[in-house]
Amino acid sequence: MTYALLITAFVISTCGLIYELIAGTIASYLLGDSITQFSTVIGVYLFSMGIGSFLSKYVEKNIAFTFVQVELLVGVIGGCSATLLFLLFNQIDNFRILLYSLVAIIGILIGLEIPLLMRILQDRLDFKDLVSQVFTFDYVGALLASLLFPLVLVPYLGLIRTSFLFGLFNLGVAVWTIHLFRNELPYKNTLKSTAYLLIFALVCGFAFADKLMGIAEAATFQDPVIYSTSTPYQRIVLTGNSKDLRLFLNGNLQFSSRDEYRYHEALVHPAMASINAPKDILVLGGGDGLAVRELLKYPSVQTITLVDLDKEMTVLFKNQGMLTRLNQNSLNNSKVKVIINDAFIWLRTTPQKFDLAIIDFPDPSNYSLGKLYSDTFYKTLKNVLKPGGMVVVQSTSPFYAKNSFWCVDQTLRSVGFNTTPYHAYVPAFGDWGYVIGSLAPFKPASQTAYPAGLRYVSADTLPPMLCFAKDMLPTVSSVNKLNNQSLVHLFESEWGEYVDAH
Amino acid sequence: MSTPISRAVFLKVLAGCGIAAVAGKLALDAPYLKGSKEKIRCRMLGPSSKIGHRLRQAAGNEKVSGTQSTRVTIIGGGIAGLSAAWWLKKYGVNDFIILELEKEVGGNSASGSNPYGAFPWGAHYVPIPNTESLYVRQLFEELKIIQGYNAAGEPIYDELMLCHEPQDRLYKDGAFHEGLVPKRGLQTDESAEVARFFELMLSFRRATGSDGKQAFTIPLDLSSQDQNFIALDSISMSQWLNDNNFKCKPILWYVNYCCRDDYGSSTENVSAWAGIHYFAGRRGTAANSEPNAVLTWPQGNGFLVEKLKAPLKGCIRNNLMASAVKQKGNKVLTTCLHSDTNEYSAIESDFVIFAAPRYVAAHVIKDQKQPDTAHTHSNDFGLSYAPWMVANISLRQLPDSRGLAPAWDNVSYYSDSLGYVISNHQEISTRQKPTVITYYFPLSQMQPKAARQKLLQSTEEEWSRIIIEDLKGMHPNIEKDIISIDLWPWGHGLIRPSVGLIWGETRKRMKEAKGNILFAHSDMSGMSNFEEAQYHGVEAAKMVLEKLES
Repeated sequence: MTYALLITAFVISTCGLIYELIAGTIASYLLGDSITQFSTVIGVYLFSMGIGSFLSKYVEKNIAFTFVQVELLVGVIGGCSATLLFLLFNQIDNFRILLYSLVAIIGILIGLEIPLLMRILQDRLDFKDLVSQVFTFDYVGALLASLLFPLVLVPYLGLIRTSFLFGLFNLGVAVWTIHLFRNELPYKNTLKSTAYLLIFALVCGFAFADKLMGIAEAATFQDPVIYSTSTPYQRIVLTGNSKDLRLFLNGNLQFSSRDEYRYHEALVHPAMASINAPKDILVLGGGDGLAVRELLKYPSVQTITLVDLDKEMTVLFKNQGMLTRLNQNSLNNSKVKVIINDAFIWLRTTPQKFDLAIIDFPDPSNYSLGKLYSDTFYKTLKNVLKPGGMVVVQSTSPFYAKNSFWCVDQTLRSVGFNTTPYHAYVPAFGDWGYVIGSLAPFKPASQTAYPAGLRYVSADTLPPMLCFAKDMLPTVSSVNKLNNQSLVHLFESEWGEYVDAH
Repeated sequence: MSTPISRAVFLKVLAGCGIAAVAGKLALDAPYLKGSKEKIRCRMLGPSSKIGHRLRQAAGNEKVSGTQSTRVTIIGGGIAGLSAAWWLKKYGVNDFIILELEKEVGGNSASGSNPYGAFPWGAHYVPIPNTESLYVRQLFEELKIIQGYNAAGEPIYDELMLCHEPQDRLYKDGAFHEGLVPKRGLQTDESAEVARFFELMLSFRRATGSDGKQAFTIPLDLSSQDQNFIALDSISMSQWLNDNNFKCKPILWYVNYCCRDDYGSSTENVSAWAGIHYFAGRRGTAANSEPNAVLTWPQGNGFLVEKLKAPLKGCIRNNLMASAVKQKGNKVLTTCLHSDTNEYSAIESDFVIFAAPRYVAAHVIKDQKQPDTAHTHSNDFGLSYAPWMVANISLRQLPDSRGLAPAWDNVSYYSDSLGYVISNHQEISTRQKPTVITYYFPLSQMQPKAARQKLLQSTEEEWSRIIIEDLKGMHPNIEKDIISIDLWPWGHGLIRPSVGLIWGETRKRMKEAKGNILFAHSDMSGMSNFEEAQYHGVEAAKMVLEKLES
């Protein structure tokens, strides 16, 4: 029986540490800044354990009974903690209150465990053996937990299943203890049936963790969802792990922080560096501020006007710590003016003229977006350019959707732009295409014109970007018009092939 | 087919038909639709019937408070009347008055707006004009709808006005498909019949008569008088389909749909010439679109009304109904009733262009010889008009549907309605926001008189329920998205091109001027559309200009 109880110490300490790690991990996923999150979670947790230890002295009778109750509570609260944190993140205003309350409750309960266990064992062992053995098992359990968590549990089970699994271990301890003290415990049957009921509940939770994840939206994404919101225009979801931050709009990947510099350098610099001292720049779409970050590398720039439809998006990228670190706080720069409007409608009324317009719209996957790639749109765009001005258009993938890509090129040419199509390899997207439309023929810049510190685009890497292999050349040709929407039709059929293939 | 109109019915219908633009601001006090879980505001709009009653009480020798004089009085501010004014002004005659019964001009091209957008109450598009549609082209050049011509002489249209893709979709067999011609799920013989029909229509479109004129033109008065084609006017479209061995349901449905769409009547009540004209008359081409494209605007042809109206500010008199028109020597005296003050006044002019529906003339134009016999039907040609219900439905979002994404025109194979048009289809905004759809329902299943009674007697509750149930056929979940339903019953929506009307004696007599009173309305073509209305307006204005010069 003594050894049975010592193994209990090992199990409960493992569980305790796992809950702490889960809380810390989810907090850093959801709130960012893992140092702060882990520090505060550990602090609150240890402090609460102290409270638990302190409270243990008020338990005088029926220590085993209290111990079983504590185990049941830890099992159910700790077991559901990950689910609660994920599900409630979007529902409540102050997530931190929920987080720290949960950590504190679990901490207090865990804090009660060891003192109670020691008092159960005090008659069976000498004090020095008692302390030595209980803490030995306790610390071994901690080591095991800290190794299992990152190496096995998170990769193979995920956070939600891990927390259910360890809740089950705690409940197992409760059942085990009920069995050991079957002759001394009051309300034995009630305790037993409660334990079995909770075990059933957690097993269900474990089995249907995918469904729960689906509710928390995390299932659709490879990485945990750390922020999500619905605006009138789109669903914004941010996912992240320690190395990568990803933005999804309506489920479509917009960038991955690991390689977005490739996409944005390729979008901005070939055109930008080729202009002599560009002053006034227009960005349509691109509310993430990442293209603006690249533009701000040119000291000649005086104004950047960014027009985006979705206010939430720009607010997010102006204020959220992780995101402003990524865009280097570009949207808060005094040269940048953010306008919330429909790009097409705004273009038709603005008196401003620009040296360069950067068009970073979502792909033409529906008819209303298709209008933003029409010849009528590009004609309107031409009117806001200064003499010798330029546009650059993100134009989907010339590999996956070659005819769509060349349709953008041809549409720009149809309204009188000289076009320079090029492409770049962005691992998160694949081979990605852009088209420069210029009023005068495009001349690639010399290396001195590029700002320092670029990691992808340079005078040397541009020439191969201008080359297109045979498998990227078009098989049909068409101009995208409001009254034919040929680009949307092409895009649907071309990307459809890849979607169907899955 | 001819429906003699009794005086009482006439007055009732007059009250319910002369439709004009309505400030469609959502009446926040409009009642909720009963029996729906959703809170749907519904209301019946339309002109007050008071004017009609006032006319009935005072049809005798009313006191006239004052007489004004002008050179030309234009009665009716629809497309014909506005086009007559456009032409007069263009040729230097500014001394004219347009009398309009309603608060706003526009007639069948009336439109409205609410916080979610502008929408049509009636006509909502114009096909790109043929080369012979000279007046339409001239107007479109002035309004910059035609922005220039390419080397081949084809017009370049403003692409914001050419109907954006996707244009039409048809709900059939559980999903929406592209276009309005049933194509999916047809047997091979059915497909062959559909193909044969379009080949025949193409040959009609290319056909020229023995007089060297095109068989089917717009305006239709320019069409060939070759008996081979004219004879088609003496049989019904359904007869022609039968004679030419068109028997399968998909093609019969499609042709019937087209007749109901353009004429508000089924193939039995439309002459074969008119039925074929729908397919064979349009041969417009453009530099920047497919042939036979259409021009459309969120407020429908209300856009053209606004443009035509803009330079006519001082000339339009709203809320004025011509109650009597009399030739007096070489002048014409028009008595009008002010619907807001219930007073009568008179206008003396050299000419009257009567641009109101032709059947109204029988009750307004007093015979010189028999001054009190206005209601003796001496002027009544037994014209038949199709009653319509038009509803503008505000939706929180476009309804879910299977198959093709929402198009401009959305039609169900299984419905008696014509489906609906999405009013903000031409918008260039990518925002998702509430929108308005315009739903068209010609009451072509019943005789016009009975249909008119049903139209005017049914309540907004009854109509809203009918419409919601109909839309549910395409969109089972639409009810939850409806914010409001505004209804507009058109008692005399469109004239029916019944058998024999277009090329028979009736239409010749309808067009004859009575002294200095000239007739201008699409009724004079026997079919209601922008091109015909404009043609008759301009032709009447030209005649006035000629006579003024001599």
